[in-house]
Amino acid sequence: MNWTVNLLLMLFLLATAVVAITLKDLLAAVVVFSAYSLMMAMLWTQLRAPDLALTEAAVGAGVTTVLFIIVVYRTVRREDR
Amino acid sequence: MNFSRMFHNLNYVVSVLLFLIGLYAVTVKPNLIKKLIGLNIMETSVFLFIVSIGMVESGQAPIVTEGVKTSQMVNPIPQALILTGIVVAVSTTAVALSLCLRLHERYGTLNSDEILASITDVSQLGRPWEEF
Amino acid sequence: MKRLLVLVALAVIGVTLLYGIGKMPPMDSRASPDKTHVVPRYLGHGEEEAGAKNIITGVILNYRGYDTMGEVSVIFSALCAVIAILDREKKGRSRSGVDASRVRTSLIVTTVVRFSLPVVMLFAVYTMLHGEPSPGGGFQGGAIVGASIILFTIVFGLAVSTKRIPPGARVPMESVNMLGFLSMGFIGLAFGVQFLTYILPGLGVAAAETVRKLMLDVIELGIGIGGGIIFISIVFSMIREDRYELQQDVP
Repeated sequence: MNWTVNLLLMLFLLATAVVAITLKDLLAAVVVFSAYSLMMAMLWTQLRAPDLALTEAAVGAGVTTVLFIIVVYRTVRREDR
Repeated sequence: MNFSRMFHNLNYVVSVLLFLIGLYAVTVKPNLIKKLIGLNIMETSVFLFIVSIGMVESGQAPIVTEGVKTSQMVNPIPQALILTGIVVAVSTTAVALSLCLRLHERYGTLNSDEILASITDVSQLGRPWEEF
Repeated sequence: MKRLLVLVALAVIGVTLLYGIGKMPPMDSRASPDKTHVVPRYLGHGEEEAGAKNIITGVILNYRGYDTMGEVSVIFSALCAVIAILDREKKGRSRSGVDASRVRTSLIVTTVVRFSLPVVMLFAVYTMLHGEPSPGGGFQGGAIVGASIILFTIVFGLAVSTKRIPPGARVPMESVNMLGFLSMGFIGLAFGVQFLTYILPGLGVAAAETVRKLMLDVIELGIGIGGGIIFISIVFSMIREDRYELQQDVP
């Protein structure tokens, strides 16, 4: 495990998590959450878990994001409405 | 508290912080989709914690190959558990999101405060199952 | 006020958790309790006992097979819940945002999806069947199948997608992961050993090895195809926008 890469990934994870829950535009929040999942997939490869990286990249960044986007598209896009 | 060890255990600290961020979104944000994003962040933080426990120094992936001794491999059990956990997480998210779709059809909003305020009178609920 | 209360509660929880992890052993030590109990046996004997070079596949399918069977039933019941809440899409009457849109999809996007989809599918099948010697397995392959079909649906619309994969083809495949697990488990019972045993008695060493590989492959394919089809069905029933039109049709 490379400590520099690990530290950078951790900072990026925290930043994307905070941005994802603060954005008022739900579509943007979902896209940032997808970036969070992708960072998590990269972190799994750092932790020597290639199976988890495959699953997280396909499920977290793919299927979950699409489900969220469908719901945002069919309901409301702004958080305050 | 031992700060040098806590920096060594950076993954644990970050997973606690991510857990708190997700819990804040679940409790404070009124929007249901924001709550679900927070719930997903909480789930991934727990996954990160459990997989980090199984890490070893200069470890290798737990796959039997030429030239890799078994003592170098990381712990496979957390990875196997979290693999099922990721799939369960997306299943629960799908059910919750379909409930969100139904709530929006009925109340016209995804703000949980407004939804709760509009059903203070339980008798007002009527027979929702007969509408569809 | 509520926010202040929540912040205080979060501070209490956070300090408690941080205090707890301050006492934990260093993250990458080989002597921490989780790596000394059963793990050396899994790592040292996993290949011959579970029949997979990838120890994670061995743990998932063999050592903790019951666990995975319960997990597969969780995805299946998630599909049941989504269909109970939202109902399945109707054949030939379903529309999505792509179908209703007057803007034509870009030629570049459709061409790229047409060319890359078969390659993605091939990779998914490779991932499912090569879960033993390399990273991969049923869940991963199934997720890739689901993601690729979802990409197709987003680009070409729900009408085209449901015509290619109609409910008549999907419904029998949705339970294939549970059925694969149960049938392979009952084979063990029929041979007089425990449920979900892959080494069958009375076959000879070489034949038993081949049978075990075959059974593991059947379970991996079942998990993969069933999981992928379940994801596809969930997305189809969430993406459709025809319910109100249907209600207007029926007087």
